[in-house]
Formats: sequence, structure tokens, C-alpha cells
Amino acid sequence: MSPIESLVTVMHKLIKILRRFEEKIGFCAALFIFAGLYMGLIASPPDYYQGEVVRIMYVHVPFAKCALLAYTTLFLGSLFYLWKKDPVVDNLCHAAAGVGVFFTLVALVTGSIWAKPTWNTWWTWDPRLVSFAILLLILIGYVMLRALIDDPRKEATYAAVLAIIGFIDLPIVYFSVEWWRTLHQPMSISVRGISISPEIRTPLILMSIGMSLLFIYMLAIRTQMLYLRHLLEAKQGGLLSEPERRLRDDLS
Amino acid sequence: MPYFNIIKWIVWKDLLSEMRSRENISSLFFFAFNVILIFSFSFSMDRDMTLALMPGLIWVAFGFTSVLGLGKSFLSETSNDCLSYLRIAPVPKGAIYLGKLIGNLCLMLMVELILVPLFIVFFNLDILDKLLPLLFVMTAATVGLCALGTLFSALTVQIRAREVMFPLLLFPLAAPVFISAVESTQGVLSGDPFSFYRHWIELLMIFDLVLTIASFWMFEFILDD
Repeated sequence: MSPIESLVTVMHKLIKILRRFEEKIGFCAALFIFAGLYMGLIASPPDYYQGEVVRIMYVHVPFAKCALLAYTTLFLGSLFYLWKKDPVVDNLCHAAAGVGVFFTLVALVTGSIWAKPTWNTWWTWDPRLVSFAILLLILIGYVMLRALIDDPRKEATYAAVLAIIGFIDLPIVYFSVEWWRTLHQPMSISVRGISISPEIRTPLILMSIGMSLLFIYMLAIRTQMLYLRHLLEAKQGGLLSEPERRLRDDLS
Repeated sequence: MPYFNIIKWIVWKDLLSEMRSRENISSLFFFAFNVILIFSFSFSMDRDMTLALMPGLIWVAFGFTSVLGLGKSFLSETSNDCLSYLRIAPVPKGAIYLGKLIGNLCLMLMVELILVPLFIVFFNLDILDKLLPLLFVMTAATVGLCALGTLFSALTVQIRAREVMFPLLLFPLAAPVFISAVESTQGVLSGDPFSFYRHWIELLMIFDLVLTIASFWMFEFILDD
């Protein structure tokens, strides 16, 4: 068996492993998130500068990290799909994009709520803010694109192309806004460099682990769902390309 | 057939059909003319305000026009099933992409060249001595727009609701082009020395290079399937 073939088998095995362990992953995610929320919302003291507002960071930072994790998964999966055309990987990408929309949206909204009392504005031309907004638009575009293509093979390829182009584009977006901001609004952000004390670090780490587990859990569930739908469609003949399907309809 | 010949034939074919029908260039021109008219109704501007708003207005007009023009790029290939022939033609797919890209670039630059005098007339701009750097900025930004637009045109031409999806995919990814094009146009129009906006031009060049290579590479998968 070639290394590529064994990699594909690994992907199929991964689905099986996820099926077996998904409940435990979900349970661990809940455990970590509850512990993190307790420590963040009740046990830890308010921040010296930001006061109680800092507590939203315990939700915002893990969500933002998981959004990036989702897009990295999507990018690597898309590369792998274009290389091997494995439908399971395509389902994984589709799932990662859907979950990514959720995490990116929550990261943007919580960030905005945090920014209002801290920076006294809902929105500013910060490179991270703009890159996340663009990321959200790309992910929504990705999900919409998939919904608009009938042929499953075309759908997977086009979506993978979009994901890869978007991933290459994002660093340029980041730098373009960073140059823009540093040249035109040198005053805006003064909260860089929050020194992280253990009281804040512990709940942040717990929440990050919990959210990552939640991400894996959601990804596993969604991948399986899409995979099952894929199998169902294959049974109904949906796996055929459009011309093949037309041919079949003509023949019957 | 040598690589450059393929590119040359694709460009020739696109430009010839455009020369004969004049369908795209005239509709693009009148669309952009409408946009400029709406701008001049909407803003009553003095000189300072004109200089402050002009770069944004120019690139909003060019951006909308490019959606109309680039989106159609592969639409012409759907009639008579030309797309299938392009797909099965025994030539490297990258050459088809580059040919299409250059054809689109010529079309967009032509439209932009016609629009610049209109901007000068309608907004009473005094920029005759800055035309050369302005054209340079326009070319650099249009290359980036066309690189992405050509790829997405090939991608959206075969899906439902393509007119909606094309700008939805193009605009977020082209954000760096618009930011740096507006900033460098601002620099050119206000007469800043080149070193003030050099980094924006560099960013445009980086974007052009990276996105052209990436799209060139990805185009193969789109036309293969």
C-alpha cells in the first residue's frame, strides 16, 4: 500500500475513532468549559485596568483561536482534497467551514462588546478585526458557494479552490490594514501588552482547551452528518455528475 | 503549440470578439458613466472635499465596473459549449488562464482609460501633470482585480446565481487591492512624493504576484472538473 493510500485509510479510520470517542470528547469539553467559566466569572478577580469587562476575554480569546483552527483545518483539508479527491476529507472541510462561521461570528461579536467599554467604539480599523471580518465573509461565501452547485464533485473542487485562495489572501489583508492603521491612526489602541497573571491565565487556558475540544466535537458530529448524507446521496445516485445523471434519466 | 502562442491566441480571440460586438466595452462604459453621474448628483463638493473623496469614488466606480466586466469573462464561453472545448483542448490550462487574464486586463484598462477624462470633467479635477503615476497605480491595481476576477469568473460561471456569487466572492478577497489602490491614488492626487505611497504600490505588486500565481495554479482544478 502506498503512503497516500494509507493516509486515505487513516482518514476513514479517523471517522470511526471519532464515532467511538465523540461522547467522551463532548463530555471533556463541557467539563473544561464549566471549570473555565467558574474560574473566569466567579473565582478570578476583576482586572486592574479593565475591571469586570476583562471577563469577556475568557470567551472571546478561545473563540477567536478556534476560528483560526477551523480555517487552518479547512485549508489543509482543501489541499489534501485537491491532491487525493477523498470525499471524507471534503466532508471534513465542509464541516470545518460551517463550524468556522459560528466561531468567527461569536469571536467578532464578543470582541465588539469588549471593545465598546475598552476602546469606546464598537469597531475600529484594527488589522485583526478587519481580517476576522474578511474571514467571516470568505467562510459565508464558501458555505453559500457549496449550496449553489449541484454536482458534488464540482462543489468539492470549487470550494477547495476558494478556501485555498482565501487562506493565501488573509495575510495580505492583515498587513494592508496594519500599514493603513499604523500610518493613519497611531493613537487608537493602548491596551497592548496585558501582562497575564496566573488568576487570569488559568481560566483562559481551561477555556481554550475546552473550546478546542468543543470544536473537535462539533467538527466530528458535522463531518459524520455530512458523510452520512453523502452516502445517502450516493445510494440515490446523487454521486453521479450532472451529465451522467441526465444520461441515467434518459435511459430509464 | 508553444506556450506563448496559446496565450496569444486566447487574447486575440477575446479581443477580436470584443472588437466585433463591442458588447462589453460599451455596456461597461455606460454603466460606469451612470455611476459617475450618481456620484456627482449625490455629493456637492468643494475643492478640498473633492480631493479627499476622489480616490474612494474612483475605486468604487472601477470596482463595480470590474464586477460587471470580469463576471462576464467566462460567460461568453458558455454559448455553443465553448467551455467544454477549452476544457478538452490539448493545451496547458494555465495558458488559458493567462490568456483570459490578459484579455480581461486589456478590456478593463480600456474602460478605465475612457473613464479618467470623465472624472476630470465632472469633478473639475486638475490632474493632468499626475496622469502618468495615476495610470501606473490603476494598472497595478487592475492586474490584481483581474487575477482574482478571472479565476472567480471561471468558478462562478457554472453555478446557479452566478451574478450574486461573483461579487460576494471577489470583494472580500480583493480588499487589499481596494485599500492600497485608494491609498496610493490619494497619494498621487494630493501630489505627495513617491516615497510617501511607495509601500502601497509594493503591496499592490505583492498582491498581484501572489494572487496571480495562486490563481494560475488553482485554475487547473477548476477547468479540470
